[in-house]
Amino acid sequence: MLDKRLQLRYILVVTILSGLIAGALGRMIYHQQSLSTQSIEEDLFELAGGDDKDVKNITNDYEKQDRMLVYKMVGAGIGLVIILSLYLVIMTHKVAGPLFKVSMYFDRMAEGRLGNVTPLRRGDMLQDFYVNFKDMHDAVRASAAEDVVALESGLKNLRESRNQGDYRGEAHSKLAEELDLLEQHLVQRKKQLG
Amino acid sequence: MTKAGDTRGYKRSWKNLLINKKYQLRFTLFMVGLSALLMGGLGFWIMVVANETTKVSITSERGKRCEPVPTIEAPHEEAPAPVTPMKLPEGPDGAGSQPVRPGGSKINVTLDEMEVPKPQLVIPAVPKDFGAKVVEHWTCEVSIASKVVALERGRMQILLALIATGLLLVFGLAAYGIKMTHRVAGPLFKVQLYLAKMRSGRFDKVYNLRKGDQLVSFYDHFKLAHAGIVKMQESDIERMTSVIAAAEAAGAGDHPSVVAMREMLARKKQSLE
Repeated sequence: MLDKRLQLRYILVVTILSGLIAGALGRMIYHQQSLSTQSIEEDLFELAGGDDKDVKNITNDYEKQDRMLVYKMVGAGIGLVIILSLYLVIMTHKVAGPLFKVSMYFDRMAEGRLGNVTPLRRGDMLQDFYVNFKDMHDAVRASAAEDVVALESGLKNLRESRNQGDYRGEAHSKLAEELDLLEQHLVQRKKQLG
Repeated sequence: MTKAGDTRGYKRSWKNLLINKKYQLRFTLFMVGLSALLMGGLGFWIMVVANETTKVSITSERGKRCEPVPTIEAPHEEAPAPVTPMKLPEGPDGAGSQPVRPGGSKINVTLDEMEVPKPQLVIPAVPKDFGAKVVEHWTCEVSIASKVVALERGRMQILLALIATGLLLVFGLAAYGIKMTHRVAGPLFKVQLYLAKMRSGRFDKVYNLRKGDQLVSFYDHFKLAHAGIVKMQESDIERMTSVIAAAEAAGAGDHPSVVAMREMLARKKQSLE
């Protein structure tokens, strides 16, 4: 269960609906079976002409059969609910799984980390969405990497021109300081892209 | 919390119910298919039991014997009493016969219809409890017939209930599945639009979800990611602005690297608008 709220909501609604339907059908079939048993019991008592041990044994058997039907119906209802629940857990997991994975990448992006994105597992849903996310992630990463390369080149050129040129005084030292800060910034950015 | 200014007024509409057809239909059809399969199996078993019990009950009911109606004789006509021999007028010889005529005898009879005896209608006596027994008999017969009808009706009701619940399950789950997946597909669709923007280097404002949408937590993660990328751009802008300002102060404002940095700065600023 990766996204309990999402998954449980589906499962609860579907299983409650199925359980209600199975319960209603069970009640109807039990009613029909009871009518049949009652009719046979009446016949047997009439034939036996009153209380008879054998007839009572037979009617007890019929009542047992009725109870068995109830147990079978309950079993079928529980089986239905379990199968549907398992199915829905698997199906919602196939949705929640990719969402969980993308959420993890989103958390990394929130920290400015743009590492590589690995593909989804086979059978996962939301493949199209994931491809869109990966394309975006790769585009942002590529753009950031290009910026780093461009800024590194600019940094290098500016340092070279500073050494060759006639830059003096406070402005010179300020530029040197800013270029150092830019270098640190680029080192950190490279780490984030690594 | 959703602020009024942070939410765009996209209304739900049945026209865009299937935002992500592949995901929504796949999820819903699988769910409906499995439920229909399970309910079909359950329904088949129920109908087998229902048919069996109904057959047994009907046979049992039809085997019951009602007290027969007592038989009574039907009204009938009774034969008239034997006819009294006719007395002929006595002759002179005392033989009581008419004188014999030569060439054969001849009798003249005069019949009076009023005097001819008629058959009598006999209505047998009816037992005192005859009416009650007839009522009892037919009550019993009608009771059996009505029980048979009730049993058949019960079986039909089970069949109809099965069909109705089957249809309810299929259509209900289909509608519910599409509605629920729409609430997931909606936010995903919105995120996809932002992803497309981000892919093309645009990191403008992110709006909140609509009320009732799911994946609120997922969307929060996305917003944080978006904010992280915006922060990256802003830190780049800040650093580049400082470098450009320092370069300009040092008289290197026209340096090709500074010019290129200025263009990059403009692009980054534009991406945040």
